[in-house]
Amino acid sequence: MSDSPSHSDGDLLRLLSAGNEKAFLEFYRRHQGAVYRFAFQMSGKSEIAEEVTQDVFVVVMNSAKRYDSERGSVAAFLYGIARNFVLRTLERERPYLTVLDDPAGDYMGRMVADQDVFGELARHERIEILRKAVLALPPAYREVVVLCDLHERDYADAADALGCAVGTVRSRLHRARALLAEKLRAGERCAV
Amino acid sequence: MNHQDQELLEDLRALASQGPGEAPAHIEEYLKAQFRRKNRRRKFLVWTPAFSAAAAAGIALLLWVRSGAPRSAPAAAAMHAVAPVEEEADANFYPLPEAEALPALENAMVVRVQLPVSSLQLMGFPVAEERADASVQADLLLGQDGLARGVRLVQ
Repeated sequence: MSDSPSHSDGDLLRLLSAGNEKAFLEFYRRHQGAVYRFAFQMSGKSEIAEEVTQDVFVVVMNSAKRYDSERGSVAAFLYGIARNFVLRTLERERPYLTVLDDPAGDYMGRMVADQDVFGELARHERIEILRKAVLALPPAYREVVVLCDLHERDYADAADALGCAVGTVRSRLHRARALLAEKLRAGERCAV
Repeated sequence: MNHQDQELLEDLRALASQGPGEAPAHIEEYLKAQFRRKNRRRKFLVWTPAFSAAAAAGIALLLWVRSGAPRSAPAAAAMHAVAPVEEEADANFYPLPEAEALPALENAMVVRVQLPVSSLQLMGFPVAEERADASVQADLLLGQDGLARGVRLVQ
């Protein structure tokens, strides 16, 4: 394999299933960020995100041949595997999880600009409430918000990843956004 | 889309831009090691039947030669590829990983074969990565059952 970055995902999957390490690494580097972010945004926990990312790519190295391009994009294939691992892990760890235990303060700190400090703080607070609200959504709603709103996947891709109809994605997303808006309003009322 | 929906989407976009962007580097290291381990196992599984096939071919040829078949020129040429080696059985052969589980050696013979260098890696020989696609001449030590017990590099 050359060092050219122009290999398609399909080519990389074929090469890596034949034992080509460079192809595996190129494929991993291309997709790890999305898989990791998805698992993190679904769980709110970096340990779970790490475990899921690892598991997803172990599945890829062992079963790359399972990917069928007619059933959806490579991204949908990866999100689908990641989603199964996340749900399984959340189910396993449910007694120990709380949605408030990972405040992500490091990232929030960057948002406070010198100018309009109060405005930025209010926005910071809104986004923190939103983050917690996303994590508090039931998994079926959370996964469509993460895929469609946070990862900007289209409905068809999200439907492939979740193994459901496009109409289901659309209706769940509509309902999920309504729940989020409600939580944000409630959060603002408490702040006032 | 009303103002509140618009605001919610903007907040979701802001949320998406926060948080970690990449998986930690140790995951890549772990996966790389896993991939190599898996590949070594796969290559071993590929080459074990090849060793056995070479061994079986060697036995068949030896039996045919010993049975007194008329020696044509090709058969005679093959003679130096297969030779009984009672006296040679312990002569610098490197034991194969699975040979320990096989019955003790009674009648040994040696078959000279071309081996891919990558298969030598599986036996634990130190081999430079860039030579993995080359092949070398080696002697295989076969037992009375036709299964390979050891290997010796000719080159």
